[in-house]
Amino acid sequence: MSEPVLRVRGLRKQYPKVLAVDHLDLDVAAGEVFGLLGPNGAGKTTTLEIIEGLTAQDAGEIAIFGMDWKRHGKEIRSRIGVQLQSTSLFNKITPREALDLYGSYYPKRRSTKDLLDLVQLNEKADAYHITLSGGQQQRLAVALALINDPELVFLDEPTTGLDPQARRSLWDVIHHMKEEGRTVILTTHYMEEAEALCDRLAIMDRGRILTSGSPMELVRELELPSVVEFTFDGKAPDASDFARKLNQAVESRGDTWEIPTQDPKSLLPCLLEFAEMEKVPYKQVHVRRASLEDVFLHRTGRSLRE
Amino acid sequence: MLLRQFLMEWKLYSRDRVAMFWTFLFPLLLLLGLGVIFRSRGPALTLVWSMPAQTTAADAEMERALAQTELILLKLPPVEAERRWERGETAAQIEKAGEGYRIRVNSYLTAQGQSAAQIAQQAFLIAQAKHNGMNIDTLPILMESPGHAHASNYATFLLPGLIGLNLLSMGLFSVGMVNVAYREKGKFRRLAVTPLPKWIFLAGQILHRLTVVILQSFVMLLAGWLMFGITNHGSYVALMLVLTLGTGCFMAMGFALSSFAQTTETYGAISNIFFFPMMFLSGVYFTLDAAPRWLQTAVVALPLSPYIKALRGVFNDGAPLGSHLFGLAVVLAWTFAAFGIAVKRFRWS
Repeated sequence: MSEPVLRVRGLRKQYPKVLAVDHLDLDVAAGEVFGLLGPNGAGKTTTLEIIEGLTAQDAGEIAIFGMDWKRHGKEIRSRIGVQLQSTSLFNKITPREALDLYGSYYPKRRSTKDLLDLVQLNEKADAYHITLSGGQQQRLAVALALINDPELVFLDEPTTGLDPQARRSLWDVIHHMKEEGRTVILTTHYMEEAEALCDRLAIMDRGRILTSGSPMELVRELELPSVVEFTFDGKAPDASDFARKLNQAVESRGDTWEIPTQDPKSLLPCLLEFAEMEKVPYKQVHVRRASLEDVFLHRTGRSLRE
Repeated sequence: MLLRQFLMEWKLYSRDRVAMFWTFLFPLLLLLGLGVIFRSRGPALTLVWSMPAQTTAADAEMERALAQTELILLKLPPVEAERRWERGETAAQIEKAGEGYRIRVNSYLTAQGQSAAQIAQQAFLIAQAKHNGMNIDTLPILMESPGHAHASNYATFLLPGLIGLNLLSMGLFSVGMVNVAYREKGKFRRLAVTPLPKWIFLAGQILHRLTVVILQSFVMLLAGWLMFGITNHGSYVALMLVLTLGTGCFMAMGFALSSFAQTTETYGAISNIFFFPMMFLSGVYFTLDAAPRWLQTAVVALPLSPYIKALRGVFNDGAPLGSHLFGLAVVLAWTFAAFGIAVKRFRWS
């Protein structure tokens, strides 16, 4: 790997009641889409804000394009694009005005028209910000992050709170950033989003990175890459008795039993037979590949969505 | 870049109807309303004379004397007079008390009642004097401001007070409150990740507020001139200097106070601790000459009171700045103190 676009070593941030970032190391290479995946409160946003120069760290070093904030703050700011978790603009500014205004802060800028095209806000270009939908406001925030033609883009939970369609259209914008050769660092707590967008990702919990790699690598690292699911009508019954008799881990979650396995082909027949014998009132059986959700569950013992 | 920031502030400000109302329309309405209510010649005063059926020669003399005043005399039999009193319509009533008279003043309508009582008292003294064969007249009363502005009326008194109060509310609310809101909602943070130098953003904001204040004061002065014929008696240079000083002082206060609040709610509470005492105790609407001496002295330490005094001096009476040096020094001290605190404590997030 050549000189990374972002290099973080030993980052630490203590808030009065919580250690938000706990000795964190990170390397992001040029041109990759890198994701920080983790539940709410994992420290993703704090980490990002320290890297963006908004919050001071207690310890640790950050190099962006090989430069540090203290000496090259202005240069770094003009080469990065930032979408904050909640981008607050004036209620009565229009997307066109906002892009023109923020563009005027940078030495190099993309045209307002191109960006409005990119995020499909042409029709709303002259509507007041307060009248835009959540998805439109978020697309404007992303467009603002691109106004200076940045080499490195930070997106903090770009799709949280959006409906599936709005989320897809933002994914397209992010794919486009990658095609243009930008490095993108994003946070999310949606695993399908991480899977769809990220070349590499780090799973974060309680201020620490538990594991990192490409989505495929992370799933492959699991010892049990497949999951058999029994779904029930309503809440799934207690699985502990079944698990003990089967001598196999069974997770009961919602209306589903999940049975992680290395070899579904040989497990499935005897599993079905045993379930018949025990009169388990299941409705359906599925076999699926383990997902990032399972990786997270395996690493933390907790679900991402909890 | 500064010009652009400044123009954008104006553009966004002009779209904010609520701000436009409070900045430009409300002070005008207030001036118009209060100015009309307290015209230089107050409303005609009515005095009820609770008169028994039997009257004496002294009563007749008294009635003649009262008739010569500007009071409207309403003669009623005691029973009816009492009923009118109980309906709360009577501000002052004169009635027989033994050989002499007594004036009853409605404690809810003291402004009218006291004035009527005073005039009635004068009439009584004149009636007495005439009865004793002396021929005297009332003392003439001339309304005049300390700077001998003869046409001085309440609107003239009110106008500089309102301008001063506007400067204060602009500083505390349009500067202080807005900055707290920006910080709370993360508008500052979005700016902080751009290479825009912070001073340009702040300077743009300050320049914008300054021009708003100048325009606002101009509108008020124009309205005062058109509606009440109030004109500036002082030098325009002195007036501009005083206005600029006030803007600087109250804006700095807004910035300083905004650094003590995390949320707009707490800021509202903190700023009102300053705003309301200053509004009521600084002689905007009325002077404090009836208040205890310690309060009058204490209020001079707050910047608005000496400020308005200086503004009135310059505007109404054409006083040179030098005659208000102490008051202006108090304002200047506040400006420096607030500015120091603001610079030291200011933060973006």
